[in-house]
Amino acid sequence: MGYHLRKLAFYLTALWAAVTLNFVIPRLLPGNPVDILMAKLQQRGGSVDPAARQAYETLLGTGGRESFVQEYLAYLGNLLRGELGVSVSAFPAKVTDVIAGSLPWTVVLVGLATLLSFLLGVGLGAVVGWKRGTWLDSLVPATTMLSAVPYFWLALILVAVLASGLGWFPLNGGYDVVLDPGWSPEFLASALYHGTLPALTIVLSSVGGWLLGMRNMMVSAMSEDYVLTARAKGLRGSRVMMRYAARNAVLPSVAGFAISLGFVVSGSIVTEQVFSYPGIGSKLLQAVQNNDYALMQGIFLVITVAVLGANLVVDLLYGLVDARTRDRSTVS
Amino acid sequence: MTRSPKLVTGLALAGVIVLFGLLGPLLTGDPATIRDSGLTPPGGEHLLGTTLTGQDVLAQLAHATRGSLWLGLLVGVLATVLSGVFGIVGAYAGGAVDEVFSLFSNVVLVIPGLPLVIVVAGFVPADQRGTSTIALVLAITGWAAAARVLRAQTLSLRNRDYVAAARVSGEKTWRVIGVEILPNLLPVIASQFVFAVVLAILSEAGLSFLGLGAADSSTLGTMLYYAQNGFALQREAWWWFVPPGLVIAVFGGALSLINFSIDEIVNPALRDRVRRDGDVVASDPAPPEPDAVLTVRNLNVVYRGDTPVHAVKDVSLTLRRGEILGLAGESGCGKTTLAYAVNRLHRPPAEVTSGSVMFGDVDVLALEAEELRRFRWVKLSMVFQGAMNSLNPVTTVRAQLKDVLTTHRPEMSSAQREERCAEVLRLVGVDPARLGAYPHELSGGMRQRVMIAMALLLEPRVMIMDEPTTALDVLVQREILDEIKRLRDELGFAVLFITHDLPLLLELSDRIAVMRDGEVVEHATAEDLYLRPHHPYTRELLASFPSLTGEAGALTR
Amino acid sequence: MTTLEVRDLTKTFRGFRAVDDVSFTLSPGRTVALVGASGSGKSTIARMIARLVKPTSGEIVLTGPDGTAVPRRRYRDHVQMIFQDPFASLNPFHTVEHHLARPLRLHGKSPAEVPHLLERVTLPPEIARRRPHELSGGQRQRVAIARALAPGAKVIIADEPVSMLDVSIRLGVLKLLARLQREEGLAVLYITHDLATARHFSDEVLVLHQGRIVERGPGDDVLLRPADPYTRLLAAAAPNPETRFRQGGPS
Repeated sequence: MGYHLRKLAFYLTALWAAVTLNFVIPRLLPGNPVDILMAKLQQRGGSVDPAARQAYETLLGTGGRESFVQEYLAYLGNLLRGELGVSVSAFPAKVTDVIAGSLPWTVVLVGLATLLSFLLGVGLGAVVGWKRGTWLDSLVPATTMLSAVPYFWLALILVAVLASGLGWFPLNGGYDVVLDPGWSPEFLASALYHGTLPALTIVLSSVGGWLLGMRNMMVSAMSEDYVLTARAKGLRGSRVMMRYAARNAVLPSVAGFAISLGFVVSGSIVTEQVFSYPGIGSKLLQAVQNNDYALMQGIFLVITVAVLGANLVVDLLYGLVDARTRDRSTVS
Repeated sequence: MTRSPKLVTGLALAGVIVLFGLLGPLLTGDPATIRDSGLTPPGGEHLLGTTLTGQDVLAQLAHATRGSLWLGLLVGVLATVLSGVFGIVGAYAGGAVDEVFSLFSNVVLVIPGLPLVIVVAGFVPADQRGTSTIALVLAITGWAAAARVLRAQTLSLRNRDYVAAARVSGEKTWRVIGVEILPNLLPVIASQFVFAVVLAILSEAGLSFLGLGAADSSTLGTMLYYAQNGFALQREAWWWFVPPGLVIAVFGGALSLINFSIDEIVNPALRDRVRRDGDVVASDPAPPEPDAVLTVRNLNVVYRGDTPVHAVKDVSLTLRRGEILGLAGESGCGKTTLAYAVNRLHRPPAEVTSGSVMFGDVDVLALEAEELRRFRWVKLSMVFQGAMNSLNPVTTVRAQLKDVLTTHRPEMSSAQREERCAEVLRLVGVDPARLGAYPHELSGGMRQRVMIAMALLLEPRVMIMDEPTTALDVLVQREILDEIKRLRDELGFAVLFITHDLPLLLELSDRIAVMRDGEVVEHATAEDLYLRPHHPYTRELLASFPSLTGEAGALTR
Repeated sequence: MTTLEVRDLTKTFRGFRAVDDVSFTLSPGRTVALVGASGSGKSTIARMIARLVKPTSGEIVLTGPDGTAVPRRRYRDHVQMIFQDPFASLNPFHTVEHHLARPLRLHGKSPAEVPHLLERVTLPPEIARRRPHELSGGQRQRVAIARALAPGAKVIIADEPVSMLDVSIRLGVLKLLARLQREEGLAVLYITHDLATARHFSDEVLVLHQGRIVERGPGDDVLLRPADPYTRLLAAAAPNPETRFRQGGPS
């Protein structure tokens, strides 16, 4: 049980750190975000009543009227109630509604693309490692090269060639705007069609890392005694590869999958910008461009919570695939 | 040390780009000069064409390369210093300091970096966003992964005996870290630094593309940003958009190549080896001896390479039904290579160059791959030295016993298999309840018993045991040896027992072969070898083991 | 002459008593063998004497040639250790020269003594320029012995000094240690799991079992006529061809 409790404690600590960071950043950095926000709100025809101002001040700082501790407690209270304030760029929508509308797009696109990239990379890596010394070796530098290319640059060139040039894919967007969002087959098909190219670019640029890591671990695992034993046992090659070599070699990749999620989310922001995809990343950029601090901070929190949650799940799954971690109570 | 072509190519490519960044700006003129020749294709006066406003792309590229390299270097140094402080110092100090440092690194690692950078950038007014701000933010969000790697490395180095030896000789802590540990971390630090530089250049490009880059300098990222906003691709002005990305890609690729070769230096297993067509180059089948289960005749095994090593030279051995044949020799004498070659488990670059291995009247060296697979474990099973490493750490004892049966006895029902696994465990004195255990849950002696049980599963006629008790304590070794003798008497299999421990063989074996430098120098019954050793090396080996109960003789000081 | 006395030494790891109330004395010109299975606590005792691990309770008292207790900061001038694995105890990054010159400097001696140190362990002076991977196992362990001698130490803790070496060179290294002990009046603690060498290379044998000393005395008494049941078990378990071919050893 120690393993699960320690993991949970760690993620609670990380969550607290993120929440506090979110509180501290606007107070430490120069400028007066509350005034900017109120001015924006006025332009949009929003009410300038003291209640609205107070809500923003709780989030961004009162400029010294209240003590740091009081502000912090009020801020935590708001978070616990799920109060993230009102967005000025999407006025009068609440920040929570804006997030709820855009989060699923990101989760589905980025989640599926990442999973696909992971499975593809790990699978190819296992084969490349196993068949070391054949032409498959050349996959390693090739895919690593793709990872060294700036992602958006590759994506834009693919858009220019495959979408503008050949017309195989739509240029941008998450779905055909003439359709109403919903669960209709036409809409789903359109979403799938629009998501293919962005997903493809994500897979292309991230598969190399997984492939290289898995291939290197596979090569190490193949020189382990248990693989030698498996060969001496007269097991079929495929079984030695899957149950003995790959089963052990994949462990660092599984552990790395959790850590990579943070990078994946970062990548998705750029993806959504390239494809004008209606996800949470493009909303974050919109918020930054419009000084919509409330939305900005809300999105940062949601992204962090999502990443931490996914990390926790992966870590718990890791405990299932490697029995040793559950018993190793002292090492973190 | 032979230089790897990867390292040379990587260094050359990276060098060209660094030179371009250093010298290019001096040669290409002012990148900001606006001309009325917008979007000229490459050629003539403008080697790489012009931008929308008629600026020379080559001049811009040179300045942008310099800007990106400078930023990458800045972030690389900052991030490496941060990761070194939190990773190396924390791990060496241990205890509470390590707990706090590693907790901090892990928290920084799981908080998504770019969203944080965007939020920070959102609060910092654009005119205050300089290169140094961007570099600082990228370093602060980018050091944690390297710190984890360095921590793991330091933890393993910290427990090395040479660190303890330095402490015992009275070295101060900072000298132990700086002089004993740090040099051994250099390859890892170098690879982390290289990675940090690439990541910084890519991240900066991403930030600039999002319009959040440094306002005061030109980098490849800002160049791409202007190209994108000038609709370079839509206007088919590829010469404006493609080169900056290509420079990043080539530089990143070059650094990855450098990292590959660092990986190969750290982990020699990754180095390329030439693959051979087969494990047996030539063999000369010889008729088996009557009454022999295993006959090895004039076997030669060579490790191919720049300087080929003749590991097994003309070795002949006969293993008779039900006997224990001891193979004695010191490390590097070729005894393990011989054991592997008998079962054709040797891997490239080792190859059998001549001789024969006959199992009964089966020519083992002539078996096809599939025949060989069916032969293994059914006729001949093996027990290796480190039982910890011979068992798959991530699956249960049951799974590892059963897959022998599912492969070689597909006709057995699941219940029969379970019963057979329990039976062999009982045979070696292990409670069948341990079938569900993982290897790490068993003691060293227990694991070796499980290995022996596994070797018994298919009732083979021959078992090869390679130092099966070397890693065990004297008392456990005694139990296992007694177990092997008992099982041999009950089941009648023959054993080829390999070890450096001559007294053990003298006590256990029927006959003993002594091996040195790939050759069998003496081959006799245990009694003859003990009482009437012929070869000087045999005598030397015998004299190396002082007697526990006999007279001290000339041995003692 | 320097004497090291261990009194009631105890070490607990999370409630588990790895070393339990152990006392013995290392005196000049004598070798004490500490015998036990892995996990019996013998390495922990070595590490406590070498000040790598803090004892939970008990004392380690070092008396210098002048008959007074040696102050803490001078301790390492007198007590040094030889580690089990010569492949791990020398830093792959540094030359033999570094391994010997550092302890010489740290203890106020001149690095010019390096060739002399090498000579004492029967190594040629040109070895100084080499790195560990260029040396054989036996050569490495000789360098490790020279390193322990460098500070002028009179008490040497040898933790399984030959168990990782090839069998044919083990006796050579043990004989070297015995010669140094005799000629230079060293006090040696020889830690091993090998009963036979313990018997032949010591003046006194201590048998350690689960952290406690269960039997002690001259080697022949302890190993040929063991009184304690555990010692008897240990002595019976060691492979011994003589029991099979009764006629006695080779001539």
